[in-house]
Amino acid sequence: MTRLKHFFRESFRNRALIIMALPGIILVFMFNYMPMFGISIAFKNFNYGKGILGSPWCGLDNFKMLITNMNVTSRIVRNTLGYYFLFTAVGTVANVALAIALYECVFKRYAKVTQTIMIMPTFISFIAVTYIVNALLNNATGMFNNILKSMGKETINWYLSPQYWPAILTVVNVWKGTGYGSIMYLSALSGMDQEIFEAAQIDGATKGQQIRYITLPMLTGMICILLLLGLGGIMHSNTGLHYQVTKNVGLLYSTTQTIDAFILNALTSGTSNFGMNAAVTFFQSVVGCVMVVATNLIVRRWDPDKALF
Amino acid sequence: MREKELTHKGPARGQYVLAFILGLFTLFCFLPVLLVVIVSFSSEASVAAKGFSFFPTEWSTKAYDYVLKFGRQLLVSYGVTTFVAVFGTLLSLWLTSMFAYSLSRKNFNWRNGLSVYLLITMLFSGGTLGGYLINTNVFHLKNTLWVLILPGCITTMNVIVMRTFINTNVPDSLVEAAKIDGASDYRLFFVIIVPIMAPVLAALGFMTAIGHWNQWMTSYLYITKSELTTLQHMLMKIEKNLDFLKEQLAQGQLSPEQIEEFKNAPSETARMAMLFCTLGPVLVVYPFFQRFFIKGMTVGAVKG
Repeated sequence: MTRLKHFFRESFRNRALIIMALPGIILVFMFNYMPMFGISIAFKNFNYGKGILGSPWCGLDNFKMLITNMNVTSRIVRNTLGYYFLFTAVGTVANVALAIALYECVFKRYAKVTQTIMIMPTFISFIAVTYIVNALLNNATGMFNNILKSMGKETINWYLSPQYWPAILTVVNVWKGTGYGSIMYLSALSGMDQEIFEAAQIDGATKGQQIRYITLPMLTGMICILLLLGLGGIMHSNTGLHYQVTKNVGLLYSTTQTIDAFILNALTSGTSNFGMNAAVTFFQSVVGCVMVVATNLIVRRWDPDKALF
Repeated sequence: MREKELTHKGPARGQYVLAFILGLFTLFCFLPVLLVVIVSFSSEASVAAKGFSFFPTEWSTKAYDYVLKFGRQLLVSYGVTTFVAVFGTLLSLWLTSMFAYSLSRKNFNWRNGLSVYLLITMLFSGGTLGGYLINTNVFHLKNTLWVLILPGCITTMNVIVMRTFINTNVPDSLVEAAKIDGASDYRLFFVIIVPIMAPVLAALGFMTAIGHWNQWMTSYLYITKSELTTLQHMLMKIEKNLDFLKEQLAQGQLSPEQIEEFKNAPSETARMAMLFCTLGPVLVVYPFFQRFFIKGMTVGAVKG
């Protein structure tokens, strides 16, 4: 009782802080907590007319549907994981390489200007990226096919050939993210002690050796932390890339459709089976949660300052 | 960008190779955007004959005439997007910074509880589907401007970044001194804390505004009225509609109205011109904010 009293007295004393936090608390409840409860329809036979609360429970029926539709389920899970690893591997190498290149460049103003231009794609919308990719790959008017034609080679119908898309999406991803992604590494490098390099140079170390034995080891900690924290997003993908840039063409699904793209397609095509999609989302969310907790435990043991909690 | 090199003979040969490689990558980043600009200034005939190309046979500004003629929807969408970007960003910064300030006060008895409350949102999420169900079924936000502004207004990451910024940049003694001088928490926040937060507000504000400007999915999911359509959604609709008509045309299934629609549809060059109109503001603004978001990112490497 006294504890309750104490709580209310303290809260009253801090009423200004509570009032300031209140809009945030309410918005987070409305748009973060309520959707979690919306996913409860994974265990329900959802009927739009009856609403979320009114629909009857149906146990694990929706999850059984995932197993009966195994070809779709395995396709979207495989693509989600595959692209996660592909983008992470290629992206990390590109980010680190660019950071080192910008750091090593002695023409400072030149490096600054190129960096500014390289960051530009990050701020371009995925709709614009779709327009640009279409300008390059379109069957009739696309630039690539015109180049192939002028070289006397046979043109390729890119939007009907799933085998090229993992490469295309990776290139787009590198194009869009590398300039921005290298900023973190570059700022870590800028904070490094210059004297180490001078000492190494006096000892006769070549540029290559300096990078191999000084710069890269300095960055390993940061690379590991970013990789670990990134693991939390293993079940997520960018719908801009996988839904928009591929123009959601059915023939490309086998190599491009990820879980998020699948859900978006289901929601917008109007024929969606809400129960099954909620089951997919539930699965995605649970795996994501396990990954976040696990990676955070590892990060905290390694470097408590970098851990999220 | 290293401070100094030991060699006094000027840059080594390797430096020129490196500069060349950096230049190549810069071209790789820049050329696709240049293509948009060039195509928008090419003539229709040139695109029809050569396809999209950096070297059109003929230049023309006709595409922009079409943009002016087609202008109504573009103007409406510009208005909607600008309003959402400006109002949405200001609201988001205001609410997020107040939340972050209250979380940063060590003697606030709700502090730990609220930290956990925020943390849980990083572990679980309802995803696009959960949000869709709640927004349409419970809040009935379909075809309102609110759906473009409210759902992403508070993000956990931004609250954490701002709270860390306050904790590291505002000394407790300053807050105590202001309190002793009789400043209320509101006054303290608006008069003392907000000016100190300027760099982080600029960084996160810029990112939020760009996010709103480039947002297509929310509008695509929730907006069907053309007077509430955002710019990106408008561009997306034009492209989708045209692809659909082309497909029908290939199968010879166009109705007379559809043929009329196909004739009036924006040409390749006109679409690129419209795209350039939406890209313009972003490309002009971002270099000025570069300093801020670089700083903002390094603030983001934090503890919760």
